[in-house]
Amino acid sequence: MDRALNPLLLGLTLVVLFLACLLGSTALPMERVLAALSGNGSVGDTLVVWQIRLPRALCGFAVGAALGASGAVLQGLLRNPLAEPGVLGVSACASLGAVIALYYGFAASWAYAMPLAAIVGALLATGLIAAATLYTQSVVTLILIGVGLSSFAGAAMSFMLNFAPSPFTLADMVNWMLGSVANRSFADLWLVAPFMMVGYLLVFRMRRGLSALTLGEEAAVGIGLNLTRLRLAVVLGAGLLAGAAVALAGAIGFVGIVAPHFVRPLVHHDPARTVLPAALLGGLLVLVADIVVRVLPSVTELKLGVVAALLGAPVFVWIAMRRRGSDG
Amino acid sequence: MRALIVAVQALAYALAIAQPVLAQTGSAQKIVSLDYCADQYVLQFVEPARILALSPDSKKPFSYLRDQAQDIPQIRPLTEDVLLAQPDLVVRSYGGGPNALGFFERSGLRVLQVGYANDLASIKRVTLEMADGLGVPEAGRALVADIDHRLAAIAATRDTRTASESVLYMTTGGATSGPETLVHDMLVAAGLRNFQTQAGWRSLPLEQLAYKQPDRVALAQFNQATPNTESWSAVRHPLAQQQLWTRPTTVLEGAWTSCGAWFLLDAIEALATGQAATGVSADPSAGPSGSK
Repeated sequence: MDRALNPLLLGLTLVVLFLACLLGSTALPMERVLAALSGNGSVGDTLVVWQIRLPRALCGFAVGAALGASGAVLQGLLRNPLAEPGVLGVSACASLGAVIALYYGFAASWAYAMPLAAIVGALLATGLIAAATLYTQSVVTLILIGVGLSSFAGAAMSFMLNFAPSPFTLADMVNWMLGSVANRSFADLWLVAPFMMVGYLLVFRMRRGLSALTLGEEAAVGIGLNLTRLRLAVVLGAGLLAGAAVALAGAIGFVGIVAPHFVRPLVHHDPARTVLPAALLGGLLVLVADIVVRVLPSVTELKLGVVAALLGAPVFVWIAMRRRGSDG
Repeated sequence: MRALIVAVQALAYALAIAQPVLAQTGSAQKIVSLDYCADQYVLQFVEPARILALSPDSKKPFSYLRDQAQDIPQIRPLTEDVLLAQPDLVVRSYGGGPNALGFFERSGLRVLQVGYANDLASIKRVTLEMADGLGVPEAGRALVADIDHRLAAIAATRDTRTASESVLYMTTGGATSGPETLVHDMLVAAGLRNFQTQAGWRSLPLEQLAYKQPDRVALAQFNQATPNTESWSAVRHPLAQQQLWTRPTTVLEGAWTSCGAWFLLDAIEALATGQAATGVSADPSAGPSGSK
């Protein structure tokens, strides 16, 4: 199963990507979508498929994949299946960074200011969590730190948006806290792509170290693992991925916990082999959730983060319940 | 503490015995206004000497009569602040929150509530009501006559060519407005056809724009001092930006449409003449737009 897992997920992703190009406010038959995708469609069809549906679907996939990979490596590093950018407050801190860049004009003067600020927010939170693990291995303590970070970031965002020059920003705040890929284009995707690439590079290079870490820190160091370098690279990689995902779509919770959780048994609980399928499944989950959001018959579009939380929160509770008694 | 309680009781008593008398005096002498829509009526109909305070938004760019508000004190729309200011009339549309009207009335304060206007006829009705409430019915009738005169002038000079011209109303937040809204009435009064045919407020129809384009875009800019469009706004999308680059665009100053009031006529005139207000683009980083 583990050999077939990645090709299977990749194949499913392609099918769902095509489905995302088929569905929208304008009814487009399959042959017109195929013609538009191959460059032989009418001008209108080509615009709808290449400028609206496909970029949005790819943004959704990129966000989910980044969160899935980020969650998988954080869980490997902290040796804790409940670790995830949303739960640990990383996404909320990244949102805070983005809001600072946007509402205080940095993003207007330099396009990269917003993703960079989101990444700095994510790195600060990830660094803090990683530093906390030096003092405690308690899952409860780490999650409480995450709750504290999320609450602080939410309150700080609310504070800034209240005092922002324009008072008409409530919708924006909801989007930063709940997440959405509505109206995202290729320009938005290209803006964060370099950061995601560096993040993937770091976490994939370090994934073997995460497998070594399952033996325990002393044993891992004994077989030659540079623990400091591993921690630094994973924190940086996970922060880059989560920060870039948040810069693109706001804070979407629980993807980073659900995706690794479901693939882990299929790869024999090996953290190194969890990263790629967790990224693919994370991308697939957000892609499907975004299709659900788009086809729901409502005048105002439901936020993607709402669907992600509705599906992810029960899984989070289930995982936490299964762990009861195993952690103080 | 005891002294504070006695002082509050004395204040409440003083207000309780004073208000019935003040309520009967007709033309209020100490007026506070709690939001920027209410501010506009107060600034239009009341001489500055009778205005005790205006809302904190009275001088903001989206406040139509902001220049007249410059030297007038401001008050936070908090019940405690309002009670301590001892006004004899509170004017509000939403300021103070949903329970404010009942609270002020229970405290013996006279409240003039700005009515809801969702078409041009109700704008005229609300104008008359507000002028009456502020003790200047003649000024209200004069303003309504001016509205009628300006609408008649627009109708008289309306180019028959523009009657079939479609216009896409676009807010920087990425919304547009269809039939059964004040914006739709505004477009029709300007002699234009609304591109959006679905009723009510909706997100910009991006997919529809790929097949069919409006002749003109009306860009409602809420706050020209704030360049950023909302981060998820459909206006940021290349298809919406393309409309702003390639279509004639009338930029509607935020203050014109910030409340359903007589100054909507400024927007109607700008749309009717195709004149563009000076303003910044919806998303300056995304490309050129604005006046063309």
